[in-house]
Amino acid sequence: MSEKDANPSAKDALVGGTLFGRWEKLRGREGTVVGITAILVAVFPYLFARAPVVSGFLQGYQSLATLILIWGIFAIGFDLLLGYTGLLSFGHAAFWGGAAYAAGIVAKNVSGDPIVMVVSGTLFAVLLAWVLGFLSLRRGGIYFSILTLAFAQMFYYMAASPLAFLTNGENGLTGVEVGSFLGVIHLEADVPSIGGMLLGTWLYAFVGVFFVGAVAVAYRILNSPYGMVFRAIRENEQRAEFVGLNVWRYKLMAFIISGGFAGVAGSLFTIHGAYVPLQSLFWTESGDIVVMTVLGGAGSMFGPVLGVGLYLYIENIVSTIQALTIPFTGIVLVRDFGFYWHLLLGVVFVAVVWVVPDGLWGILNRLRELAVDLGSKAAKRLRARSENGGGGQ
Amino acid sequence: MSLLSDVLVILLNGLQQGAIYVLLAVGLSIILGTLKFVNFAHGALYLVGTYAGLFVALNVPLSNGKLAEWGFSSFGLDIGFLAALLFVPLFVFGVGLLMERYLARAFYDRPDTDQILVTFGLAIVVQELFRVLFGSNSLPFEQPERILSVGSFAGIPVSGPIALPIVGNFPQWRLWVIGITAVLVALVYLLVEYTDFGLVVRAGTRDAEMVRLLGIKITRPYIVVFGIGAALAGVAGVVGGPLNVVNPTIGTNILVPAFLTVVIGGVGSIAGAVLGGIVFGLTTAALVSFAPAWSQVGLYAIAAIVLLTRPQGLLGDEEVTP
Repeated sequence: MSEKDANPSAKDALVGGTLFGRWEKLRGREGTVVGITAILVAVFPYLFARAPVVSGFLQGYQSLATLILIWGIFAIGFDLLLGYTGLLSFGHAAFWGGAAYAAGIVAKNVSGDPIVMVVSGTLFAVLLAWVLGFLSLRRGGIYFSILTLAFAQMFYYMAASPLAFLTNGENGLTGVEVGSFLGVIHLEADVPSIGGMLLGTWLYAFVGVFFVGAVAVAYRILNSPYGMVFRAIRENEQRAEFVGLNVWRYKLMAFIISGGFAGVAGSLFTIHGAYVPLQSLFWTESGDIVVMTVLGGAGSMFGPVLGVGLYLYIENIVSTIQALTIPFTGIVLVRDFGFYWHLLLGVVFVAVVWVVPDGLWGILNRLRELAVDLGSKAAKRLRARSENGGGGQ
Repeated sequence: MSLLSDVLVILLNGLQQGAIYVLLAVGLSIILGTLKFVNFAHGALYLVGTYAGLFVALNVPLSNGKLAEWGFSSFGLDIGFLAALLFVPLFVFGVGLLMERYLARAFYDRPDTDQILVTFGLAIVVQELFRVLFGSNSLPFEQPERILSVGSFAGIPVSGPIALPIVGNFPQWRLWVIGITAVLVALVYLLVEYTDFGLVVRAGTRDAEMVRLLGIKITRPYIVVFGIGAALAGVAGVVGGPLNVVNPTIGTNILVPAFLTVVIGGVGSIAGAVLGGIVFGLTTAALVSFAPAWSQVGLYAIAAIVLLTRPQGLLGDEEVTP
C-alpha cells in the first residue's frame, strides 16, 4: 500500500489528496484561523439579517448579530478556564456585570468614548478577577465553584442596595450615553457602501474587531507553551506540580485572563445596549455562560461561540415562534412553541452533558473525521482500482 | 420594646430563617458527604416540595400558565396542612429515589464538574417545567389557621400571634417551623449515628470499597440516603412555602444559601449544617433589623470569611487539599 501511496500516477485521486493535505496543514495555522474568523465575522450579519433567502429563513436581525459576537468573546474567555484549565467558575457574572457597570459609570461621569469605556471596564474586571481568583483558588473542585458563586452573589447584592447610589439599584444603570468613536464615527450609524451591506452598523464593526482580536489572543495563548501548561493542569494537576510547574500561579493567570475576556465583553455589552441591567450580575448570568459554553463544546476554540449563537438564537428568535409546523404542510405540531424555549434549552443541555460532554462542536468534529476517513478510504480504493486496471491491460 | 426583647425577636426570627436553610443543608450535606454527589438540583426538590405542599394543603385558583389554559381553573386537594406535611415528604422521597437511580448513579464515576453541570441542567428543566405549567407569577400559599380540626374538635391553632414572655406577640407559625425542623433533624441524626443503617452509611463514607468487600450491598443505603435528603428538601418546601413567595424561581434562589450553609458548616456533618444554618439565619435577621441594605451581602461575606480562614468548614474534619 505504501508504495502505491508514494506513486503519483493516480492523478484524480491524488489531486484531491494533496489539496486536502494542504488544507489540513493550513487549517491549524494562526493566520488561517484568524483570517477565516475575520471573513466569517464580516459576512455573518449579511447572511443573518439581510441576505435574500437565508436571512428570511433565519429571521435574524442586526442587533442580535452584535449580541452574539459580544457573548462570543465572553464564552471564548470562559472556555479558557473551563475547557482548557478545567476550572468551573459559577461567578463570571461578577466580571461581566462588573465591567458593564464600570464602563457605564465611566461613561456617565468621565467620558463616553467607546475605547475609554472598554479599557476601564476591562481593567476593572481584571483587577476584580485577580482578587477573587486569589481568594477562590485556595480550594479546588466543587468548592471553587461555590466560592466563586458566593463572591459573585455578594457583588450582586452590593450593587442591588448598598451601592445603589452608584449603580441605580434595582432599576439598572440608565442614561448611559455612548460617545462617538474617535470623535467622528457614530457607532449606531450604518457603515457606508458595501461595508454597510455586509457589516451593517459601525457598532458591529467595532465589536467585530474585538471578536477577531479575542480569537487571535486566545489562539496564541492556547498554542503557546503557556497554554500547554493550562491543559496539563486540567489533565493532572498533581503531575503538573511534580514536574515543577507553579500550578497555583498558572491557575490564577488563567482565571485573570478569563476575567479579562469577560470584562471586554461586559463593556461592549454596555456600549451595545447603553444600559446595564442589575440582572447582569446575578448568578443565572454565570449559569447562562456555563450552559452556552458546554452546549457548544468546552475545550474547543469555536465550540463555545457556536453554543452562544444557538442559545441566543433560541432565546430571541425561536421564542417568538407561534406554532411549530411541519414545513410546507401547515400541520401544527406544537402550539405556542416559543413559550417552551427555556425548557427546550434545559433538556438539550442535560442531554449534551450526559451523552456528548464535548458538545455540539465535538459532534461536528466527529462527523468531519468520519468524512475524512471515508474520503481517504474511497481515494485509496479508487487509486488501487486504477492501478489494477492499468496493470491488467 | 426593650433591648432584650429586640434581641430575642432577632434570635427567634434568625432561628426560623435558619431552620429552612438547615433542612436543605442537612439533606445536601449527607448526600455530598456520603455519596460524594454534588446536587445543584436540590433547590428543584425544594420547589417540588412547595408546589406539592400547596397542592395537598389548599386549593388555589390558577390564572396563568398552561394548566390554566388547558382548563384547570384551580389546583389542589384542599385536605389540610397536616396531610401535606405527611404526604409531601413521602412523595419527594420517591422523587429522590428516582433521581438517584436514574440520574445520580450514572454520574458517580464522572468528574465533579459533570455532576454540577447535569444537576444544574436538571434544575433549569424543573424550574421551566413549573413555569410552563403554573406561569411565572406568584401563587398564594396561606398559612394554615388550625391543624387537626376534626368534627367538633376545633383543632390546634398554628398561625396568628402568640404571647411570649418578654418578647410579646410573635407569629406562632415561625415557632412551629423551628419545632418541626428540630424534630426532623434530630431524627436524621439518630438514624445516622445510632442505627445499623447509619453505621453502614458512615462506613461507606469512609471507604465504600471496603464495605462492599465485606459483603454489604452499599447501593441500597445510598439510594435511601438520597431519598432522605430529598424528603428533607420537600419538608423545607412545605413549611417554608407560607413564609415566602411561591413562584418557579424559588428553587434556584434558595440553592445558593443552602450550599453555602453546607460548606461553612463542614461537608458531611449534620451538626455543621445545623450550626451553619443558625449562623446564617441569625446574621440575616440581625442585619435586617440594623442595616437592611446589607442584609443579603452579610451572608456571603460570612461565607467567604469562614471559607478563607477555615476551609474545611466550622465543624468539618476532612483533609483539605489546596
